[in-house]
Amino acid sequence: MIIIGEKINGTRKQVAQAIRNRDADFIRQLAQRQFESGASYLDINAGTLPQREPEDMVWLVENVQEAVPEAVLSLDSANKVTLQAGIEKAAKTPMLNSLSGEKFRIEGVLPLACEFGTELVVLALDDNGIPKTSEGRVDIVRRLVEMTRKGGLPDEKLFVDPLVMAISTGTENGNITLETCRKLLGEFPRVHLTCGLSNISFGMPLRPILNQAFMVLAIHAGMDSAIVNPEERKLRGIMMAAETLVGKDRHCMNFNRAFRAGKIGPRMDS
Amino acid sequence: MQDLVNAVADMMEDEAMALTKKYVEQGVPALQIIDAYKDALSIIGKRFEECKYFVPELILAGEMMKAATEIIKPAMKGGQSNVEAPTLGRFLIGTVEGDIHDIGKDMVHMLMDINGFEVRDLGVDVPAQRFWDEYKEFQPDIIGMSGLLTLAFESMKQVADGLKAMGVRDKVKVIIGGGQMDEHACKYIGADAFATDAVAGVNICKKWVS
Repeated sequence: MIIIGEKINGTRKQVAQAIRNRDADFIRQLAQRQFESGASYLDINAGTLPQREPEDMVWLVENVQEAVPEAVLSLDSANKVTLQAGIEKAAKTPMLNSLSGEKFRIEGVLPLACEFGTELVVLALDDNGIPKTSEGRVDIVRRLVEMTRKGGLPDEKLFVDPLVMAISTGTENGNITLETCRKLLGEFPRVHLTCGLSNISFGMPLRPILNQAFMVLAIHAGMDSAIVNPEERKLRGIMMAAETLVGKDRHCMNFNRAFRAGKIGPRMDS
Repeated sequence: MQDLVNAVADMMEDEAMALTKKYVEQGVPALQIIDAYKDALSIIGKRFEECKYFVPELILAGEMMKAATEIIKPAMKGGQSNVEAPTLGRFLIGTVEGDIHDIGKDMVHMLMDINGFEVRDLGVDVPAQRFWDEYKEFQPDIIGMSGLLTLAFESMKQVADGLKAMGVRDKVKVIIGGGQMDEHACKYIGADAFATDAVAGVNICKKWVS
């Protein structure tokens, strides 16, 4: 599974403070820890107001890529000025997070993705909000994929997010996401599927357990990427187990290697 | 009607409806039955604060309340279509422009309604102009703005600044709500208070009108 580390997000108090105070060490360590926990992509969200977001994004890109040059940066902003600044600073072509059916994102994000040939997160929502049905979400993605194809972006660069809504507000919310995954892969077999997994457990007790269960269900439905906290050890173990069990791990090598390296299962040092 | 209060507070839907029907048939005044639900809501709110109850329980509480109102309405003398209760005040709420998060907003809407406020809910992605227009028309005592994204702060500030420009800022209380609200945001936006969860926000509003 392609893990996108979610922790460098300016809406978190500690990160916001580090950005304000230009605490490079904090950001570098956060990047390193996520990468070592298995995040091959790192989401970077400055979370600051538009006036200063571009310079904050540039500072974050600089520090993260110096700390972890092998990681792919996922630039998380709706602001095209911020994204452009991040793209120009990035040593490797980054991913853009995200395109949606919203007018300002089609106008701001799509041209940048096509121009620079970036990987692109695609959200199944538009200016009318989030469709309550899987068909509605697939419709939006269909329209957007037509645009990305026209812009010369191959399907393989797309990370489509079928959207995860809290189970606490809708009994069918889990099923709608899973159904959307299956329909999307049926129609666009070459895209990646990603999601903000922990949304499923918002407003519920025992969130980690719900997240783990949903991870298994999502993998079964074809999810091959997620935006998560890569340091959650139990989630990582369950994720690898599920991937092994659906045939994505030849001779179970990934799972057993991770076991031997102490990356999953009970901690050896505790 | 302690049995009704307990049934509602314990999330026993069927029992709550059965007891409500029973009391309506016995001729218990509507306001008394509503009071029982309010007592139950108080308990539910407390359990939410104690992290025993979560979002689903609040949603179910709202549904039970709605169902109860449907049962009580037809039984009112004189065929009044509105359950008449003195309103504590008028409350205008919406998720600000650029943001579509609505779970917290819907919780607050429901809790304020049950607590006796007259609530007008503008939905999500609400432009500042609509807040200002609705303020003029609805004349709320309190305006609640909800938002989770950073860009929501700008939209909220815009609304508050507009109220100042209209010369009405001192006539209305403004509360902002969202998971990452804090003193900084409150000062920047110019709100009177902030809340990071629905029950806390409703308690602040109740204090304001008491």
